[in-house]
Amino acid sequence: MFNGVTAAMRYLFATSLAFFGLTLTAWAEDNPRVRNDRWLESAITGSKQVEASPRYRWQTADVHGNAQLLTLFCRNCFGVEREEVPVVSILRDTAGDSAPENDRVSYVWLLSVPHLNAGQRILSAIPFFYWRVGRGSDNLSEHDLKPQMNLTAPQDPMMSGAARQIVQWMAFDPLAAWVRAPSRSYQANATDNIRFHLEETISYLRTAPVSNSPDTLTGAQLNTLVARLELRKRLTGGLVDGVHAERFGGEVGFEEERVRSRNWEVLRQCAEKTGLYFEPVNLGDADGRYGILWFPTEDAQPPNPESVKLIWKVLSISDPWQDPRLKQWEGLSYERALDGSGRLLPRGSSGPRTVRMVPLAFYSLMYPRVPLLLADFRDRMHIRRHEMTQRSITQVTSGVIGISRLTNWYYYAGVIVYNFVAGRHGSAVNQALRLDCYAQFRVHLSADMSLDGRLRSELEARARSLTVSPLDSTGEHGAKLARARYSMLLAQTAGQSELAERLERDRRAEIANFGQTTKAKIGHSMLHFASVGLYTQRASKEQLSLAELDRERRFIYTLNYLSNTVKNGTQPEVTYSSADIAASVSDLNRLSVGILSVSLRTRAVQTLQKIADLTKNRTILADCRQAMAVIQVKPIPSAEMDPSIARRSLRVPESRTARPPAEVSADAFTASFK
Amino acid sequence: MSVVRRLFGLFFCLTLWRLTLGAGEIPASPPCRLVILKIDGLSDDLLENTMNKRDPATGRSLMPWFTRIFRENGTIFKNFYTRGISLSTPSWALLDTGRHGVIRGNVEFDRYTGRSYDYVNFFPFYLMSARNKQVDMPAVELLDQLGIPLVMDAFPYESRIRSFQLLQRGVHWQTFRDVLKRRVKTQLFLSPVESVGPPSLYKTLEAQTEEELLAALNNSQMLYLDFYTGDVDHDTHLTNKVESLEDTLRHLDALAGRMWSAIQKSELAAQTVFVAVSDHGMNNLPDRNSQGFNLPDFLSSPAGGSHHVVTNRFQFDDYKIRGLAPLVHRTVAPSSTSTYLAKQTSYPTAWLDLDGNERAAVQLRNNDYNKLHILLQQLGRKDLPELERAAAVKYARAVIDRHRNEWDMTTRGLSEELDALNRDIENRKNETRRLPKRWTLEQRRRGEDKEARRKLRDLSLLEQDRQGYTDFVKSRGALLNLELNETKPYRGNIAEVIPPYCLGDSNSLYDLQHYVVGPKSSGVAVNAKGQLDEGGTFQTIDYFPLLLAQRVRNNLQTALPEAPVDFIAMSLPRESFRNQVPEAEHVYWLDGGNENQLLIMTDRFSRLTTRAVKYLTALPDGSITWTAANYGPNLPLRLMADAALKIPQGTTPVQWLEAWHTEGEWMGATHRCEYSNGVIGITELLSPIADNVPGAKEANKHLLRFDRRRRELVQADFHVFSSDGWNFNARNFNPGGNHGGFFRISTHSVWMMAGAGVPHRAIEQPYDSLNFASTILSAAGKPAPMPDRVVKLSNQKFRW
Repeated sequence: MFNGVTAAMRYLFATSLAFFGLTLTAWAEDNPRVRNDRWLESAITGSKQVEASPRYRWQTADVHGNAQLLTLFCRNCFGVEREEVPVVSILRDTAGDSAPENDRVSYVWLLSVPHLNAGQRILSAIPFFYWRVGRGSDNLSEHDLKPQMNLTAPQDPMMSGAARQIVQWMAFDPLAAWVRAPSRSYQANATDNIRFHLEETISYLRTAPVSNSPDTLTGAQLNTLVARLELRKRLTGGLVDGVHAERFGGEVGFEEERVRSRNWEVLRQCAEKTGLYFEPVNLGDADGRYGILWFPTEDAQPPNPESVKLIWKVLSISDPWQDPRLKQWEGLSYERALDGSGRLLPRGSSGPRTVRMVPLAFYSLMYPRVPLLLADFRDRMHIRRHEMTQRSITQVTSGVIGISRLTNWYYYAGVIVYNFVAGRHGSAVNQALRLDCYAQFRVHLSADMSLDGRLRSELEARARSLTVSPLDSTGEHGAKLARARYSMLLAQTAGQSELAERLERDRRAEIANFGQTTKAKIGHSMLHFASVGLYTQRASKEQLSLAELDRERRFIYTLNYLSNTVKNGTQPEVTYSSADIAASVSDLNRLSVGILSVSLRTRAVQTLQKIADLTKNRTILADCRQAMAVIQVKPIPSAEMDPSIARRSLRVPESRTARPPAEVSADAFTASFK
Repeated sequence: MSVVRRLFGLFFCLTLWRLTLGAGEIPASPPCRLVILKIDGLSDDLLENTMNKRDPATGRSLMPWFTRIFRENGTIFKNFYTRGISLSTPSWALLDTGRHGVIRGNVEFDRYTGRSYDYVNFFPFYLMSARNKQVDMPAVELLDQLGIPLVMDAFPYESRIRSFQLLQRGVHWQTFRDVLKRRVKTQLFLSPVESVGPPSLYKTLEAQTEEELLAALNNSQMLYLDFYTGDVDHDTHLTNKVESLEDTLRHLDALAGRMWSAIQKSELAAQTVFVAVSDHGMNNLPDRNSQGFNLPDFLSSPAGGSHHVVTNRFQFDDYKIRGLAPLVHRTVAPSSTSTYLAKQTSYPTAWLDLDGNERAAVQLRNNDYNKLHILLQQLGRKDLPELERAAAVKYARAVIDRHRNEWDMTTRGLSEELDALNRDIENRKNETRRLPKRWTLEQRRRGEDKEARRKLRDLSLLEQDRQGYTDFVKSRGALLNLELNETKPYRGNIAEVIPPYCLGDSNSLYDLQHYVVGPKSSGVAVNAKGQLDEGGTFQTIDYFPLLLAQRVRNNLQTALPEAPVDFIAMSLPRESFRNQVPEAEHVYWLDGGNENQLLIMTDRFSRLTTRAVKYLTALPDGSITWTAANYGPNLPLRLMADAALKIPQGTTPVQWLEAWHTEGEWMGATHRCEYSNGVIGITELLSPIADNVPGAKEANKHLLRFDRRRRELVQADFHVFSSDGWNFNARNFNPGGNHGGFFRISTHSVWMMAGAGVPHRAIEQPYDSLNFASTILSAAGKPAPMPDRVVKLSNQKFRW
């Protein structure tokens, strides 16, 4: 035991030395003095200001006549002026028509994701290695067409993530530090990389136009898509069902707006207290999501240092009034006009007086509770140093020393307490949320053409240094990669392709899963994961029928709609149109023919019964009673069914097989619902 | 005889016929049950806008239930306003009692004892309640002490269900137990699938309370049921994003739908009146963020007087560990630039109630206390030259002598009241000794155990007050008998004559225009006559122009006014106006700058008038001078420039504004203006509060005087009102919107009724908070607290 601890300490010491050395090297690379010439040159030269804001639009490509590849195009992104670049592609399975009820959004691709080479992967497994190597590859292979997320199986990433954690705990953590630390390092970098790209995709999608036209995503589809991507970041996000996911998508947006407006006011008041100037910044299409603090070099009114100690903590910068560098500042600065009452006027305006302003710090307003520092113009290494320190602490404790959450719980209890106290004092302690903000910043900055060129160059340099993962090489060849990947995807929209095969496999899985009980679903999921994905329950190719798929999807859609009408437990026709309810009841009745799943039929009858109990509309009541009677007594395929469905009914799993009417009376069947 | 028999037979037949005829009809019975949906901070404008919008997914209104229940089947008061400041506790107090306000802030501070009446902190209440030491929220305790009943008190204890709210009577602990069960269940099993994250404790509590209310609606014994929700207030403070607010209102609508459906299913459906009411509106506009101006920072800065500032919560409490302290009711933000009180944080000299955030109630320590404090410090110096010492002693004595009569009278009055209080406390002690220690289930059901605990709590509060006021009387006595020596340094303990956390008497206008904030660096200055030179000794501030001149560097929205402070309001002594306006009983001054000042006056018939004045100044003897001015567009409340001012044809605005009118006339003329019922609101806020205290039944004249004195002692020196779009929130950040002021958007509230006998109507006639309780109590067949305030609806079936 003692020897083990000693060995760990030695390793820790050696690693710390190596880390220290590497940090020094990195510092030398990133030191502003080393790069000062370029900075100054940039500050003096400036760049042409482009006023046009980027616009986003969808472009649709048909996929085998029954699906669509929707691609979001961005004008002026990646610094490509006046040209459009594809940024995100989405596969929407339309089942061959233009009605949104039976659509499924299946896959999403972030087109600008760079190819990860073996060298990057190896480096990402080296503990305490926090630098980007090279400028990333601008080549893509077929393997790079793997979608960012399969929305039809949201539980898959969650389960594979859990599996990776379990393998880490069970297999690697008990081994020596030289195994544990690299595996943990690799996993941390890979997880961060995935999260970073997820947030990039979300950032693009937030600006995407929505409508009910067949060529764009609907509001509900976009909400669900964003929600699924957001939920993928969460531990149990994969468990959330579609209905709740859509609602969650909307609520995330509301919460983001609350965070944004609160941070706007925090930064404004902090600036007021400290004698600085706050200016909201619209980067790209992100209105007011960023802010910059300016230091007035003239006409200054320093605050009482004692009364603003807390504020500097909240702002995560040192007191500029005590900073001698600002007295002989040679970095970026601007002459800005003030109005008669001392208000900062927009850039380019003239006012009764001008003051030389030094940009002090640039913030994201999207981090909960505090504005998140993205650039400290006086200290180039500030944020990077902070990120590296935090990452190092984690790697030392969990990777090198091997502190476990179970046996060394007191350490983690201490960490929680520390984080709580630091968080209460205004520190941005959540590394994952910081990463989200960095990803948003990169996307918005790449789409921006309104900032002054010198400032944007400066911010771009800072944005590149924000992440500390060797896997990160976004931004170098963004436009080129995006176009290349989009071309490859387009090539797959026709003929027999991987995309077509994916689509077919998903549809077969959907048919096989339709109407399964929760138990059966869990069982098949367990088998899927136990077989490392080799087994997936799917219907056979012969059983795949678009008409059947369409009917099943419409049935679920209608049932969900009707469930919604009585969710509140009140008279449904007050909140929903009576005609729509009646039509949906009638649709459900019609679509139920051939729906064999007992659980779905039960749910349908329960829903109809609830509507019948609550409604005061006689037509709806009569329709519900009629539909209930039909759904209860017709559990087998009717003569109207097409032959493929009839064939399938012979091979349906136990859970989906309804009892024949001879075995159970209608009354008993009804009773089972109650 | 036969005639009698025949007549009797005829009468019998007629009666039988009537009974037979009426057997098939349900006899009309008066409404006897009230179900009230209390919505904190819902502006009628926001509600109306949302109700008018169509949901494209359903084709219905975004608030289909509100539309169905109230707009299509009930009565809507389209012009219902908060009376007084649009702040939660005072507003709910008006709505829940139906009487003129005796609470004028979310927190109030007693000038003599420093006691904090914190009406909005739930944590101490629950803690004390769990320990059986407290039964009701502080506002209810206060109203009980002052003999003012709530609407719910009109119903028997066992027939009312009340939710968690600011004016809460009792705690239903079973609800909390059920909440914990529900929370554990939800967190463990459902939250990953349904809610993504665990629901907040507040949401779970709300869900549980609703479940209990809906269950109680099935019980025909329950005659008063209320449900309070603070969601709208919370959200509208945080955001002005329309979609987010609509989402919140949809939830509210669904709640109303569930309540209405449950009412319709209940036995008493035909006798139930369903009411939706909000306490105030919210200054929340979609294209504008509300910006904060930090008043405590200003007051603790050298320019603002270097005060140690008291507030009810920590500033920026989200960024402090101590911001989590749940039991805090009074905090001191020390000033690092204080001169004579440096590091003496037990001597805060500015006490603020900032809640609501569009207004701030400011209490400053008595100006003469400041002077005496400074002089006693100077007199304690050994190196003070003899001449200066003599002048300082003489001046200090003069200050005390100037107040001697008044202070003597206060001391004597308080002593009498304390004697009466002592006797009352002894009586209460005897009474409480006789209270049973154990309670039967039946007694608990009737609430007798809670009544007993209320008595014990009252006793404890009175004992605390007795201690506080006794200490004050002692210190005041010491001050009156202060012995100062012209030749020796003062060696006494200043805290014995000027106690910590004591503000002394209210400041006069003269005091506030010449407020002493510290000594000048030269110390005591003496003039040629050997007298203390006030100007050379004390640093003074005139707060009115100073506050109005405040500007901020970071005003990011050009649509917002440059000045964060709109106007300042305070009450003035009527004596100075007796010659010019002999009818004036009360005079209130609204200062919007030297040349933009408005006087609002009331007469003994409660009629109101206004006068435009300028350069209103107080003289050392207390008299006030001013110059009459023209009604300009920039006068406080901006009535002259308001196109919505509705006055009779043939009358000019000036004529109308300078004439005496009843409240109803003022309401009719101004309610659609930018400041709606601001003129009436000012009188409600600043009128002598003692007149509104009826006193408890058992109170004798001394105890009644004591109650009234205590209320007078919490009144602010002056009230500061923010400009449109600005707020004074120093605790946290409310970029969405704020309330508290007299802007129409902040005072325009919701009152809707539906159910038993309520006709289908939209009432345009403006009403205010005072109409609410009287009307609904009258509807439920109970006596109205102010019968003249009952709104008579046409098409009446019952009492309408």
